[in-house]
Amino acid sequence: MIISLNHYLVLGAFLFCIGVAGVLTRKNAIIILASVELMLNAVNLTFIAFARHWGDATGQIFVFFSMVVAAAEVAVGLAIIVVLFRHKESINIDEVNLLKW
Amino acid sequence: MILHFLTQAVFWFLVILTVGSAIVVVFNKRILHSAFALLFTLCGVAGLYVFLSADFLAASQMLVYVGGILTLIIFGVFLTARMYNMSIPEQTHQRFLALLPVLGLGGIIFYVLNSAEWHLITPMVAPTTENLGKMLLTTYLVPFEVASMLLLAALIGAIRLARPRKEDHDD
Amino acid sequence: MNYDYNLSAIAVPLILAAGSVLVLLTDVLLGKKAKDSAYQTTLTILALAGVFCFTRWGTGGSAFFGQVYTDGFTSFFNLAFLTVGFLVVLNSPNYLIRNGIDHGEYYMLILLALLGMTFMASAGDLLIFFLGLETMSICLYVLAGFHKSRAKSNESSLKYLLLGAFFTGFLLYGMALVYGQVGSTNLAEISNYLAEAANPLGGYMGIGLALLLIGLTFKMAVVPFHFWSPDVYDGAPTPVTAFMSTAPKAAAFAAALRIFYHPGIELGIPWENVLWVLAVLTMTVGNFAALAQTSVKRMLAYSSITHAGYLLVGFLASNELGASGMLFYLFMYGFMNVGAFTIAYLVNRRGKGNYNLSDFAQLGTKSPMLAALMSIFMLSLTGIPPLAGFFGKLYIFSAAVQEGYVWLVVIAVLNSAISVFYYLRVMVMMYMREGEDLADLEKAPTVAITAVICGLAILIFGLFPSPLLDLARASIIALL
Repeated sequence: MIISLNHYLVLGAFLFCIGVAGVLTRKNAIIILASVELMLNAVNLTFIAFARHWGDATGQIFVFFSMVVAAAEVAVGLAIIVVLFRHKESINIDEVNLLKW
Repeated sequence: MILHFLTQAVFWFLVILTVGSAIVVVFNKRILHSAFALLFTLCGVAGLYVFLSADFLAASQMLVYVGGILTLIIFGVFLTARMYNMSIPEQTHQRFLALLPVLGLGGIIFYVLNSAEWHLITPMVAPTTENLGKMLLTTYLVPFEVASMLLLAALIGAIRLARPRKEDHDD
Repeated sequence: MNYDYNLSAIAVPLILAAGSVLVLLTDVLLGKKAKDSAYQTTLTILALAGVFCFTRWGTGGSAFFGQVYTDGFTSFFNLAFLTVGFLVVLNSPNYLIRNGIDHGEYYMLILLALLGMTFMASAGDLLIFFLGLETMSICLYVLAGFHKSRAKSNESSLKYLLLGAFFTGFLLYGMALVYGQVGSTNLAEISNYLAEAANPLGGYMGIGLALLLIGLTFKMAVVPFHFWSPDVYDGAPTPVTAFMSTAPKAAAFAAALRIFYHPGIELGIPWENVLWVLAVLTMTVGNFAALAQTSVKRMLAYSSITHAGYLLVGFLASNELGASGMLFYLFMYGFMNVGAFTIAYLVNRRGKGNYNLSDFAQLGTKSPMLAALMSIFMLSLTGIPPLAGFFGKLYIFSAAVQEGYVWLVVIAVLNSAISVFYYLRVMVMMYMREGEDLADLEKAPTVAITAVICGLAILIFGLFPSPLLDLARASIIALL
């Protein structure tokens, strides 16, 4: 069997769904952030697979920037979690009153 | 023939590593285990980047994700979970209810991906680093600069929030 | 005309970027001696950027290898963002000083959020749109949590960040699939593809555009992706709420028009049906939830969901009148909402601090000026002629009727009628209710000036809507 584009796409979709499941089922804010990182990794994989398919570097540029954004989001996210932790001594989103969804 | 077999073996190893550890990240109840499982997912994805001849991004993945983001996440786990009780099992809510939209979404995406034709991937091309560098300073110059402002905003914002408060008082 | 390295094409964001660094520097160097140096610098920078934007109105074309467009559409939205930014900054010090959070970073983050929005409106490529959106979002996450000592503000910020990052994943996945189908992330090439393809939504394109739309509707707070907005708006500092409920919404609609507005390209019946359902749900859910609120801040938060629904009606109609009506409405909505939130903030100081409706009691006799301004905002949000809000709705709804969406317009008008109830409740409270003894209003000149500017703008553009509408129409034509 030859490894084709669809192998990567299906893997990406699978990884993305695992990430979505994590965001929906977990309550710990840090694990939710980690699940979001899984989703972004899945998207990056999809981008690079398409970039390979088209023989075009745009997709790789896109991934480069998405890594930058992911890093910035995690940094700000942890800053917020640290502030909240000082107040609440808990980061389970159930104990955070507003965070019911 | 042996080379072909080896390539296949490495590819499937990476796939299993990535998916397996991703499942651990999401479904393991111990927070620290989840954070460490993320390490293997990120490395597996970096390996797949090499397969897709994105050598520069594989290196960036190791530096930015493993070196930066993962470190931050583990740092956050240590900072917030009580140090002496690292393995507090965490409750999850209506897991099966939450999985319904995931299954729906997954079904749709798989359907679409599989109904499109199977494109074959052509053999490897040359290293991409030089090409990417040129593009970042020509076509993608503006995005490059916007990204720098984005990082500035994140930096200042994170410092402002995380700094211990002395001067703030309540409403 | 296609100048590539043309710095004047990005003059407004350049001023904002340089300004944000300047604000930080003035705060560090002069902040100890002159407390409001950052505030004054920010206002100057915003005014300067506004003058630049106005005098060098976009003439079309793109720059930096098709990354940014320099047309009237860009200039129109830049002006709208700068106006909202100016009004929000103008009334912020009162809140910030009172709560002990008057740090220069606040102004800097507002400037950087505006920078992100200008790139969303001028984006010629999915990449620059994505980066603009994220710059804006990251600034807003921090601004929402800026009142660190209040748990509510922290929670609002965390909720916004987690959900924002989650939906960024969907947005990005959509972009990846669109890129996979088209082979480019350039918006011009994507619209070429859509125009030429036999089945525009075939392959990965349909689900790609759908995921992209999910990501955008989150930022617009469209039902069913609205659930974050009331809590986040409620928890954030009030000037930030005024900012969040107007400018980012305008930016998201600007980006949606850039990406999806292609007259002559039919995306097909399923696409229209989805937008139809989204519009109806958004208007109705926002409305009924707003009815049930006792807090004015939450009421305004829910009503901003309803307004996103009205804007979706224009987006669905997607003809020249509908799109220019959206531009008009978004511009005016900035004035209405910022004005309403500033007065709500000022009045809130009389009561217990939970934005209770009863704080408005007897405002009509105690402060006729503020009561009159609040009435203008409420009536304009309802859509009573001859205020600006009425004309915005008129253009959007008549565009939808032209396109044959009669039932949609009927539902929209019914919703407007329902919204009369909760908007007028504020006026009834101001003019007809006896209140228990409430403290007198404090003097807050900057807040009052902001409200007066907003009120005047609504009156003037309500009485003479055509210049602004012409400008909006010219911008939409430039988009083609």
